Amino acid sequence: MNEQRQITVTQAAAVTISTIVGVSVLALPLAAVKAADAGAPLVTFLGMLLAFVGLFFMTRLGMRFPNDSYIEYSEIIIGKWLGRIGGLLSIAFFAVLSSLVAREFGEVVVTAVLKNTPLEVTVLVMLLLAAFSSRRNIMTFAYIHLFYSPFILIPALLIVALSLKNAEIVNVLPVMGNEIRGIPAGIITLSTMFQGYFIMMMVIPAMCKPERAMRSSIWAMLITGVLYILIVSATVSVFGAEETKKLLWPTLELAKATSLPANVLERLDAVFLAVWVTAVFTSLFSCYYFTIYSISKLFRLADHGMLSFFILPFLFVLAMLPQSLIHLNEVNSVISKFGLLITIVYPGVLLIIAKLRKKRGKSK
Amino acid sequence: MSTRISVNQNVKFMIVLLLSCSLLTGCWDRMEIEERAVVLGISIDTADKDAEAREDEISHLRGKYPAPKQELIQLSVQIALPGRIPLGPGEGGGSGEGEQETVWVLDVVGHTVDDAMMNLQQQISGKLFFGHLRVIVVSEEFARKGIENLNDYLHRNAEVRRMAWLMISKGKAKNHMQAAPKLERVPALYLASTLDDAVKHGKFPSNYIGTFWSNSSKKGQEGFLPYIKIMKGDNVEISGMAFFKGAKMVGVTKPIEIAGYLVIKGISPAGYRGIIHIGDDSQVVTIHATNRESEIKVDIKNGMPHFTITATTEINIEEKNSDTIPVDNSKILEEIARENERSITELLIGLIQKTQKKESDIFGFGELVRAKEPSYWKSHVKSAEQWGEIYKNVTFDYRVTSKVRRIGMKAE
Repeated sequence: MNEQRQITVTQAAAVTISTIVGVSVLALPLAAVKAADAGAPLVTFLGMLLAFVGLFFMTRLGMRFPNDSYIEYSEIIIGKWLGRIGGLLSIAFFAVLSSLVAREFGEVVVTAVLKNTPLEVTVLVMLLLAAFSSRRNIMTFAYIHLFYSPFILIPALLIVALSLKNAEIVNVLPVMGNEIRGIPAGIITLSTMFQGYFIMMMVIPAMCKPERAMRSSIWAMLITGVLYILIVSATVSVFGAEETKKLLWPTLELAKATSLPANVLERLDAVFLAVWVTAVFTSLFSCYYFTIYSISKLFRLADHGMLSFFILPFLFVLAMLPQSLIHLNEVNSVISKFGLLITIVYPGVLLIIAKLRKKRGKSK
Repeated sequence: MSTRISVNQNVKFMIVLLLSCSLLTGCWDRMEIEERAVVLGISIDTADKDAEAREDEISHLRGKYPAPKQELIQLSVQIALPGRIPLGPGEGGGSGEGEQETVWVLDVVGHTVDDAMMNLQQQISGKLFFGHLRVIVVSEEFARKGIENLNDYLHRNAEVRRMAWLMISKGKAKNHMQAAPKLERVPALYLASTLDDAVKHGKFPSNYIGTFWSNSSKKGQEGFLPYIKIMKGDNVEISGMAFFKGAKMVGVTKPIEIAGYLVIKGISPAGYRGIIHIGDDSQVVTIHATNRESEIKVDIKNGMPHFTITATTEINIEEKNSDTIPVDNSKILEEIARENERSITELLIGLIQKTQKKESDIFGFGELVRAKEPSYWKSHVKSAEQWGEIYKNVTFDYRVTSKVRRIGMKAE
């Protein structure tokens, strides 16, 4: 068990960051301007705060039960059967989420880059990659995330910085946006973009110092929050809110409109897509890993490795169900709003009940 | 020792293995360069009367499957000929054949842009590829009817870059596809570099198709495009800015009024020259602006937005026509600066009035209202149409200052 408890604070933060930053980066500014026009950066910030509430609940829970997994302590807190239902619901949610991530990845690739490659191939390749990688233990999982996180963060920041030379401040003023009514719904939509933070649940029991988990949560949220706000601000200040509303994937368009100084590269969308594929892989990897890890905990299996290929066909079929990109987005927004119940409300309720019933796990 | 060698060999083996793996990969979307028809330029005109007869039944059967109720357009493309595009300065007519055509110009008719592209694809073997599209020329006649359809087509196409130039031509746009300027082997690239250089020299604001789209979609701003015409020797002149209301072109400025736009926006470097009369008007001095700065303030006066434009230009003296008054003391220079301020102010007033008359706020004054006076925007404006109405009647204050910095290498 000892070699399973080695994840450091930095690694935990890296895992969370690269899980959160994923497929949603491309449509992020679109969601933000739909909610609040020029107030998009503000909405992103508020969405991050709401997501942090969820992460806070999860981390506190995790620190309360440093030895048990999510599934195990929800059974302790609210009873065996209720806990199992909760566990099953979250497993189903993350399974669906991973299939949607894979599908959205496929849609972007087919629309913008590889037009002749069948959608099935791109989706299947991504799922296979996740399936192969998730056979290993949680340390490998953490190392893979730690390795990739700089490759996601640095180029993303670079693109944002380079695009700023076309930016106009007027586009992101007034800070509140011109239509305040959309903001509350926008906060909810935007907080779903941060849903990847649930991975903290899985990481905490494997941390060598679980009492420091809150530190990695705060760092992870801060870094992704800043990155997201920067991406949204850059996109809106370059294109203007109205034009951003017309773009399916504004961030990709931003990369397309940005060039390296002295025209070394006239457009950065190729660079950006490479980064983005990495980001998608890490998030999909997390969703996938979480799904099979939780199933193995739910059924008290010793190892989750064998499950990784077992669920693949199911996820693939799920991913193929939406008829079109628009349909996919509709499904996605319903699922991710449902996800708020699982990622914010459920841990919140668990935490309160645990406090009331004075349940606490053994310290390690 | 021996273990080290074997480790090294293992590493080498792995590297070889990895490298050979990379050779084994393929690509579903692989397409050889000669299989593509690389489109460098597109031009769009309204079609002639006889176009209907020329249209083949490619996208629809005549009379049975209804065609879109749009007037026919004539679309021309400039396609790069593989192997003929010079890759560097060293490769010029190496085979002694002299002037070889680098591009192929084709034209088709269609009801919409995509319809026309379909008709074109029907007669070309390679697949049309828009990744290198640099210029789109639209005739004034077509632009005045509205270019929503064109914008939509280009917006949707993932290959088109936002850094292409969209321009409006005086007269037939097709002529710009066929013109072959001498300075550049590829005509479309010459057109694009005419505008790129104009931006670099301060003669035109940077206004790629992406910027145009952003400007037109904003609620408090309208788009504008370069207005060009063909001169002697197949050359192209930027002869103003075509300004829009929504997707419809509504007017065009004079070339010197582009300078007015640049002054209002404070875009440097400055590139225009002006003529200043001093003394009894018999002597004129030509000045050259070098630097511009500007600030626009908005406040609400009597329920209407009021803008204060504060602009500064720095100028150099370039020449004078006679020696009656020497420019050898700062008093004279100040007088020249005052004269210049007056003429710039007049230029600005004229330009702004021109756009006000057509309700086309190409400067983005409305965006300033939206950003800085959100409560006024919310209660009075809200939509682009409403802003157009208000823009007609807004008032301006001009505070133009101008400073003569240099007089060249001559002492007097």
